[in-house]
Amino acid sequence: MREEDEQYFEGLESQLEDAFDVAEEAKERGGDPKPEVEIPTARDMADRVENILGIDGVAERVRELEGEMSREEAALELAKDFAEGRVGDYETKAGKVEGAVRTAVALLTEGVVAAPIEGIDKVEILTNDDGSEFVNVYYAGPIRSAGGTAQALSVLVADYTRALVGMGQYNARDEEVERYAEEIGLYDKETGLQYTPKDKETKFIAKHMPIMLDGEATGDEEVSGFRDLERVDTNSARGGMCLVMAEGIALKAPKIQRYTRNLDEIDWPWLQDLIDGNYADNEGEGEENDDTAADDEDGDGDESGEADDASDDSAGPPRVEESQKFLRDLIAGRPVFSHPCAKGGFRLRYGRARNHGFATAGVHPAAMHLVDDFLATGTQIKTERPGKAAGVVPVDSIEGPTVKLANGDVRRIDDPEDALEIRNGVEKILDLGEYLVNYGEFVENNHPLAPASYTYEWWVQDLEAAGADTQALEDDPRIDLEFPDAEEALEWALEYDAPLHPEYTYLWHDISVEAFCTLAAAVSHGRVETDSDGDAGDGTLVLEYTEAVRDSLETIVIEHRQRPDEDRLEIDEWRPLAHTVGCDPRQAVTDGAALEPDGRSEEPTIDLERTWSDEDLSEHARTWGHEKDGDNAMEAVNEVAPFRVRERAPTRVGNRMGRPEKSESRDLSPAVHTLFPIGEAGGTQRNVADAAKHAETMQDTPGIVEIQVGRQRCPNPSCNAEETFKNRCPDCGERTKPDYRCPDCEQTLEPDDAGRVECGHCEVEGTCVENREVDINEEFRDALESVGERENAFEILKGVKGLSSATKIPEPIEKGILRAKHDVSSFKDGTVRYDMTDLPVTSVRASELDVDVGQLQALGYEEDIHGEPLTHEDQLVELKVQDVVLSDGAAEHMLQTADFIDDLLEQYYGLEPFYELEDRTELVGELVFGMAPHTSAATVGRVIGFTSAAVGYAHPYFHAAKRRNCDGDEDCVMLLMDGLLNFSKSFLPDQRGGKMDAPLVMSSRIDPAEIDDEAHNMDIVSQYPREFYLASREQADPESVDIQIGEDTLGTDDEYTGFSHTHDTTDIAMGPDLSAYKTLGSMMDKMDAQLELSRKLEAVDETDVAERVIEYHFLPDLIGNLRAFSRQETRCLDCGEKFRRMPLTGDCRECGGRVNLTVHQGSVNKYMQTAIQVAEEYDCRPYTKQRLEVLEGALESVFENDKNKQSGIEDFM
Amino acid sequence: MPLEDHARIVSELTSRGYNAEREAVTQLAATDQPAAVLEFLLEDLPADALVVRSAHVESARSALETDAAAANPDPAAPDSAAQTDSTPSVSTGTTQPTASGSGAETPVETEGSQPIERSVDHDLRDLEIAGDMTGQSTGTGEYSDFVTVFRDRLERLGSKLRGRINHRPATAIQSMPGGSEVAMVGLVNDVRSTASGHWLVELEDATGTFPWLVMKDREYADLVNELLCDEALAMEGTLSDDAGIAFVDSMYFPDVPRTHEPSTADRHVQAALISDVHVGSDEFMADAWNDFADWLHTEQAKHVEYLLLAGDMVEGVGVYPDQDDELEIIDIYEQYEAFNERLKQVPGDLDIVMIPGNHDAVRLAEPQPGFDERLRGIMSAHDPQIVSNPSTVTLEGVSVLMYHGVSLDEVIAELPEEKANYDEPHKAMYQLLKKRHVAPQFGGHTRLAPEEKDYLVIDEVPDIFHTGHVHKLGFGKYHNVLAINSGCWQSQTDFQKSVNIDPDAGFAPIVDLDTLDVTVQKFS
Repeated sequence: MREEDEQYFEGLESQLEDAFDVAEEAKERGGDPKPEVEIPTARDMADRVENILGIDGVAERVRELEGEMSREEAALELAKDFAEGRVGDYETKAGKVEGAVRTAVALLTEGVVAAPIEGIDKVEILTNDDGSEFVNVYYAGPIRSAGGTAQALSVLVADYTRALVGMGQYNARDEEVERYAEEIGLYDKETGLQYTPKDKETKFIAKHMPIMLDGEATGDEEVSGFRDLERVDTNSARGGMCLVMAEGIALKAPKIQRYTRNLDEIDWPWLQDLIDGNYADNEGEGEENDDTAADDEDGDGDESGEADDASDDSAGPPRVEESQKFLRDLIAGRPVFSHPCAKGGFRLRYGRARNHGFATAGVHPAAMHLVDDFLATGTQIKTERPGKAAGVVPVDSIEGPTVKLANGDVRRIDDPEDALEIRNGVEKILDLGEYLVNYGEFVENNHPLAPASYTYEWWVQDLEAAGADTQALEDDPRIDLEFPDAEEALEWALEYDAPLHPEYTYLWHDISVEAFCTLAAAVSHGRVETDSDGDAGDGTLVLEYTEAVRDSLETIVIEHRQRPDEDRLEIDEWRPLAHTVGCDPRQAVTDGAALEPDGRSEEPTIDLERTWSDEDLSEHARTWGHEKDGDNAMEAVNEVAPFRVRERAPTRVGNRMGRPEKSESRDLSPAVHTLFPIGEAGGTQRNVADAAKHAETMQDTPGIVEIQVGRQRCPNPSCNAEETFKNRCPDCGERTKPDYRCPDCEQTLEPDDAGRVECGHCEVEGTCVENREVDINEEFRDALESVGERENAFEILKGVKGLSSATKIPEPIEKGILRAKHDVSSFKDGTVRYDMTDLPVTSVRASELDVDVGQLQALGYEEDIHGEPLTHEDQLVELKVQDVVLSDGAAEHMLQTADFIDDLLEQYYGLEPFYELEDRTELVGELVFGMAPHTSAATVGRVIGFTSAAVGYAHPYFHAAKRRNCDGDEDCVMLLMDGLLNFSKSFLPDQRGGKMDAPLVMSSRIDPAEIDDEAHNMDIVSQYPREFYLASREQADPESVDIQIGEDTLGTDDEYTGFSHTHDTTDIAMGPDLSAYKTLGSMMDKMDAQLELSRKLEAVDETDVAERVIEYHFLPDLIGNLRAFSRQETRCLDCGEKFRRMPLTGDCRECGGRVNLTVHQGSVNKYMQTAIQVAEEYDCRPYTKQRLEVLEGALESVFENDKNKQSGIEDFM
Repeated sequence: MPLEDHARIVSELTSRGYNAEREAVTQLAATDQPAAVLEFLLEDLPADALVVRSAHVESARSALETDAAAANPDPAAPDSAAQTDSTPSVSTGTTQPTASGSGAETPVETEGSQPIERSVDHDLRDLEIAGDMTGQSTGTGEYSDFVTVFRDRLERLGSKLRGRINHRPATAIQSMPGGSEVAMVGLVNDVRSTASGHWLVELEDATGTFPWLVMKDREYADLVNELLCDEALAMEGTLSDDAGIAFVDSMYFPDVPRTHEPSTADRHVQAALISDVHVGSDEFMADAWNDFADWLHTEQAKHVEYLLLAGDMVEGVGVYPDQDDELEIIDIYEQYEAFNERLKQVPGDLDIVMIPGNHDAVRLAEPQPGFDERLRGIMSAHDPQIVSNPSTVTLEGVSVLMYHGVSLDEVIAELPEEKANYDEPHKAMYQLLKKRHVAPQFGGHTRLAPEEKDYLVIDEVPDIFHTGHVHKLGFGKYHNVLAINSGCWQSQTDFQKSVNIDPDAGFAPIVDLDTLDVTVQKFS
């Protein structure tokens, strides 16, 4: 590790320790469930694993093993330790297996996710039919978060430990084998699996599995055969088991095999058959990629290395396969931007912008505005390739969209300001511009490279390869290599025999040979008009207006003006076009000029002479095409143009909007200020003040409410205090202890070492939870007084109905009062959270973060990315791994939280305030926790600045440490001191998944080796080599190209630094701040906007969009609700009791109250008329219309009285 | 006295709930015997007609004349092609188009018999419909509609049970002292097993609920497996000491009496019971159907005078996702037109009754009303009777309860394998007969549309119970009631393949209405 990195981490850790000290002191004083901070710090993975599992000695052993072997091997080694009793304090065989399996899963998931504790319910010992013992592992749903490899290995470890402790193998009964097969099918249908083994495969695995896989029921649907089995508790699908078997064992068989081979104790010979597919008849492996084979031929046949333009006649241009998948489940209100591979859609450009990589897509901010603001920074898109989804980031160093305006102008829009200005006049979006995807995405998704667009980065290397001194050209201040003028571009193309500059390369591959010939003819008949001023250089090429020529100009995406009324098509930048279509401009003098003696109005005119005729084209060029012969004019262009022209945009990427971006505080619903139970007394608002005044009848004392709380007792022998529910004795102030009693014999019990409480006599679990009458009024008044606040300090203080934790310890109301005062609300674990969509960024500017250079310097930023001293706000600096950028909303929320924490420290704990922040710039440098859903470990981050985008920008490694990527995922930040002071495990729900999403441990520093390895696939170079672009045309395997990715620097001094990018962007927050999806009001508004946009986009077929909205949104909604209506539950309006069927009495059986339906007519047919209207307006298929018609009839039949049909107005006339 | 005549006709019509066109009244008055024509007319008015139109009068008059002619059959003038136009007596005036049947003339290869000219005496026929709710759907989907349906169910099925035991309402039982002998009639509200393996059955009546404990070692314990929620049941037993629960001593189902004697026809006449034609599907078995239609024209089939179709005439649209990929005919109306062409192939002198199924273009919630006017207009061949699902049709005294059978899936899923399975669909039907309800369980697979009464109750014991839906052929007798689940005319679909269902396709069960014997004709 480099010195500066070490300093950085030490800085973070010492800052953390300071905060810890304050928090520890506070905790000792307060009435929290525990007198100490409940989030232990983990410096490395070993710490996290131990902390999550709560098994002592694991961390030490993990550290010992880590240097010597892989993590997987370490898991097996630890299994041995467990079996032999060296680690963990287990007496039973089942306990040993359980410990080993949990540890293995924790180790393989780096101790971040909750799978080891939540995903494995228990391990038990059962007996085979022959009397031998075997191991049964109970998996639960959260095992999903472990991923396939860890799931599969958990089975192996269970088996290994079983063998070591000397138990037999599981012999599945036939009906159990059959059950597995049916169940996996059922689970796949209900929930969906990434990989669904065939029935034969499942049965094969089940038959050979040496341990039994079991689990909890996760769904409602039940299997139809093989029910009520003796050794299977449920008839529903066991989700955890299905995942382990299908996505674990079946999918990862080769990985497990690697480890079974080295273990003598166990033998899984059947894995080989599984891998080979020998469990069933061979199902021909016909998946060899024909394209690759064809491309290889191309490559071989071309020795000069210019593979693209000289391919065989038989093969067409290289193209990717269309994929419709991303269009599935299209939702109303989330528009399609481009159909698969459609002309006019986003053009694939390779590169990584500094706010890019790790499942993101770079889109030009002007395009974001032009798609009616539906795209914003952080909006998720479902995409055709290379992955499934990506988060959108603004990149303005790529080409913007091209639009046709109502006045006939066709313009490329490269400036977001222009986009806003002309947006209302846009008639058609002819081309969406470029779409930046980095090389690493293709590696991560194992997607063959798609043919690259011809772009500046490639051209410059072509130019250099052609022998030009590009360095000299770059250094010449008069030359802009990236955006040269036409003269220069043509000159270079001719002089160096390099392909034409991409700026003047049009999309010739999108027009047919026929259209190309027509266009060439039109150009040769065109005339060049010079400006009356005479000084405007080249003048304007004017073509005769015909539909065919206009279409061609629109398709090749060239800027021009359409003036149909004057029968003109005007092109300003005409020279490259003329040359490309094989027309030579000849200077000519008009005949009339000679007659003018003074020569003043001697107008030199330019004739465009076509140097070729249609017949000159070779057969090869004439039949060149992808879908059908001659639909691609590229070869024709290369035959007639005086220079080489490369394919400008061979790959278009289809996509549609996914989830909108997110930046909002995480509130429970209804929002909660304090985790203090008030039952029904607070009304639906759960208002504590209301509960304090609540009285059931006139006789009752207001505020006395019966609630379920944990019983506590004062351990002080001299204190005669009664039982309480508080963590401090109301009389002597001593910390109280839970008072466990046996529910049967009422005897007081003490928890054993493992924390279990069992009554020795009755053999039942003891509990401290009791129903108790609590005077909410008194509690509320006391709390107000103790923090010195009045009731008017806040609008409303919301409590909870009841507590869901095991011991039901309530939170002190005081904390809630202060939260309410500062208008922040609490999550289920007592913390205040703010959710943001994750996006990556590797270099930042002070100017875009709303901080000044001084602040960055104070945080240890001394140099910019070029190694120059940091002196002004526009310099780019490389982001340190744990520094995060907050959205404006998050900053605001953090400020409120900081105020709350300061008040809490002062008014409740009696300490000095910690933050004392005046405005948000003071937040810079403060520590926060980042934490993702489904995980149990928080990662410490440091605030470095702010962005107006509604996202959380941070280093990709920071996101990966939380086990997130950036494809629209979101997670939360918490203020450090809030987590330390207010989090308690005692608040966590006592149910499956309750420990997920809670900071059971925190990582103080990120070790790049211990993060989600997806992030290691991000490329970190500043330029892709020319070989890469050439390889992309052969759709090569991405691994075959040598571009440095994060993985390459792991374990070196450079692992925290040197994240270069190929593209810059002016600001990481450009384009709209919020997606139109969030700013538009009703679903109908959104859908109208979606369909309106689909009409504007050249790349979108609006009928298809309408069909899909109806098919995937309206129809399922209508059908689902109609089905739900006719088999619905009912609910009591007064007490909320639910009934499977309408009670025959008509009234609630519990309270006698009014019962009503849960699904009403209104919710069933709310979309009916809209759907019919859309189907009409967008000319959907008769099939779709008829489905709607049939449904409408069904709705009428159910909801209308045949004998009392609604009558129209005409009945009364 | 024409004026008086007019007034009399109008008042007669209105008293029977019909309105009339002025022309219709004039026409009626102008006939020779207005009273006879009127009677005939009213009998044959379509069930959903509210207004008597002149067309109706016209057809009634002509039919009456034909009828009179048919009463004196003239053997010297046989119809040249009996199957093309036999002018059934119940014609409403639409003349049948001639059968297209390219295959109609070819003999059935399996039978080898020649098409014959069927001689049919329409006077002997008798067909009545009961329980048709088409045009009677009055529910508007309110909470109270649901309550009404379930109350009606308890009322009607309860009446079959109350005579057998000394029942008390739930609230009365709640206040009885421990140890009392008690009995109750109610709908099953909940069934669950206790920790010790006993069963707790909660019965609900119009006053409330009461829990009944079935001990695991008692003889009735096995019956618990057969229970479905919301079926009507009577229980007898003893209250526990604290009177909080009753121990079941005996259990009664509404059931079909063991003594049930089915009615039979007075002559040898047969009915073909089929279902699940699925016209429009890629898998529709046109050849099998053609053979079936041809066979109906043969000597062998000359006694078949009735054709009952228990739903799923066509494959439908939007029944499952991406269905259009598996449709031969994508347009729903064209599907029905194609079905009508198929219908034309069968002899024109058959009396046809059909009910809709879950693939048909009517509401899925049961009871399903018969098809709407537009579809009736399309399916006009041989003027079929189109009634609701379920309905009871009585053929010469033999009552046939027709129900499409969606609930069979649920019965098979919920009940033990030996009681109900796909290979013996009639066994699942026995259960429905025993429960005297075609779709007892609410909230599961079966959908319910609340109406003013529970049309799904099997009020009268039918002589034959006819269902389809599961595409499996099976029949048998339960307490002398013949249960038939007809197969289908659609070969195995991809979906069926995936769940390993092998359908019985191309079978036509033929029932002798005089003996209730079944023969199965195979056409595939």
